[in-house]
Amino acid sequence: MKKAYLGIDIGSISTKGVVIDAKNQIIASEYLWTEGDPMGAVKRLLKSLQKQIKDQTVQVVAVGTTGSARKLIGAMTNATVVKNEITAHAIGTTTLYPDVNTIFEIGGQDSKIIIVENGFVVDYAMNTLCAAGTGSFLSSQAHRLGVSVAEFGAIALTSKHPTNIAARCTVFAESDLVHKAQMGHKKEDIIAGLCKAVVTNYLNNLGKGKRIKAPIVFQGGVSKNIGVKKAFEEAVGCEVMVDPNGHLMGAFGVAVLAKQAGIERHFNFNVADLDFRTKGFECPKCANHCEIICVYQGNKLLDAWGNKCDNGAVRV
Amino acid sequence: MKVGIPRALLYYKYEKLWTTFFDECGIEYIISPETNKAIINDAANLAIDETCLPTKILLGHINWLKNQCDYIFIPRVEFVYRAQMCTKFMAQIDLVMNTFRGEHLKFLFYNLYKKGPKAEYKAFKKMGKYLGLKKSVYKYAYYTAKQAQVYYEMFRAQNQLQLLQQPTPQNKVLVVAHAYNIGDKFVGEPILRTLKNLGCRPIIAEYFDARECIQASKQLSRTLPWAYNQHLLGAIALYHEQVDGIVILTTFPCGPDSMVNEMIVRKIKDKPILTLTMDTQDGSAGLETRLESFVDILNFQKERPHA
Repeated sequence: MKKAYLGIDIGSISTKGVVIDAKNQIIASEYLWTEGDPMGAVKRLLKSLQKQIKDQTVQVVAVGTTGSARKLIGAMTNATVVKNEITAHAIGTTTLYPDVNTIFEIGGQDSKIIIVENGFVVDYAMNTLCAAGTGSFLSSQAHRLGVSVAEFGAIALTSKHPTNIAARCTVFAESDLVHKAQMGHKKEDIIAGLCKAVVTNYLNNLGKGKRIKAPIVFQGGVSKNIGVKKAFEEAVGCEVMVDPNGHLMGAFGVAVLAKQAGIERHFNFNVADLDFRTKGFECPKCANHCEIICVYQGNKLLDAWGNKCDNGAVRV
Repeated sequence: MKVGIPRALLYYKYEKLWTTFFDECGIEYIISPETNKAIINDAANLAIDETCLPTKILLGHINWLKNQCDYIFIPRVEFVYRAQMCTKFMAQIDLVMNTFRGEHLKFLFYNLYKKGPKAEYKAFKKMGKYLGLKKSVYKYAYYTAKQAQVYYEMFRAQNQLQLLQQPTPQNKVLVVAHAYNIGDKFVGEPILRTLKNLGCRPIIAEYFDARECIQASKQLSRTLPWAYNQHLLGAIALYHEQVDGIVILTTFPCGPDSMVNEMIVRKIKDKPILTLTMDTQDGSAGLETRLESFVDILNFQKERPHA
């Protein structure tokens, strides 16, 4: 039986999973919407992955989780590696593109820039509190314009004179967009302008002061938007690569990390059928009122977190 | 008579000076508790939007103290080491009086608005007179308190130097943050705890000797106005070569820091730098993700064969 490694990336908007073999080849992958229910999404994800590798004699021996729900899903799948998404993305990309120097990443709620030197991450930046210029911003604007996100990029490419749109803040962008539309700007110009605005915003916020050097890889859900890719190429003046599996890079990276960690723990896809629950409560023991989350499998407590001090610690 | 000392802003700088002074004068005092969520919530309700987080926290602490004591101690400090302070330290008294107007609170002012070696004594003298103390009492109390403060700072600086110079397999991280941020249970403590959990040794820039640091800050900027920022900048100038990385912790919306941090990132090129901005938000996920990936970078740097 061949050994395989599972990586799960649970983002705010989408949930990604890949199964790789010992040679880092992807043998199964899935991408679906989180829909505000990370546990349910992971269950659906696991079922789909299981179906894909049914015919092969592989055994998943290590699981890695990343993304904003990594802790929760890590507890659920008994993961060997629980890693932040920045490192996971960097490892994933440097595994596939060993000579990459800059990684642009735009996801549903956050965006990052990762600077790599000789295959080692040396610097990164991540957007702060606000989600302007990320996937959710684009999809809400697409909705406003009555265009589906999938065709957004293709429409942008048809534009000859992109409209200038202020993308510093989503609220301003929206009013600017409405104003430009009422002034008579063409829809494709506005869409191309939005793509350009996303890029300007990204480079001004995250790229500020950073050494952006080719080869550049662009990934995350927004990398599927060909309009944004083109806007990036125009802004930085060189080719920007988009991997066909760019949206899976975090999951791939954490699968590689799980492989490298060397801890093996047989994983059973039956997890998808088990009953998991979480219970949240406010700890009354001091004035901090920490929100504590407990994860249960049936009646068994798997893990708990959220406490700021030992008073609120829940023993497993 | 009981004096209430808010555990906020300058308290984290002058804790020893103030408490020893009151001890020596035989005045009973109470210190508000470590910042907690209840205090933060009060703070957010009391403050206007534009004030910075530490100033908001001060209001929260005063709110906690208002029914616990006869006088609330509020300092106002304009100069330290002949250098100007951030405006919030000058505005504190007025801000507090205006926020709690109509509540008939009694305040004990400590007003240090002059330059020079005797300025601090004069501020204490004024306070002593207001409290109806004899000259012999407050004068002795002040000099005892001053000595306690000086020794305390000296001891702390030596301790940090030792931590810095001791060889260790851990990553040494210089944490650059104002005293009232790094000392605060709500703002700075989670950062230090997370760093320690990630196997780092936090070195606190604020604890290094102020005079040496301010002198050294001239290497990086000759024109920087604010005393506490000079202190932190000097610590970076002196010690950045001996650490593995630098974490800059700022509270939103700090005016001085917003300029100084940018300068630090532009001038210090040889060490990884992480800038964290804290607000009243509660979720620690973003914080952990950022610190975790920063520490990953430090670990990568160590594994990396030297070119």
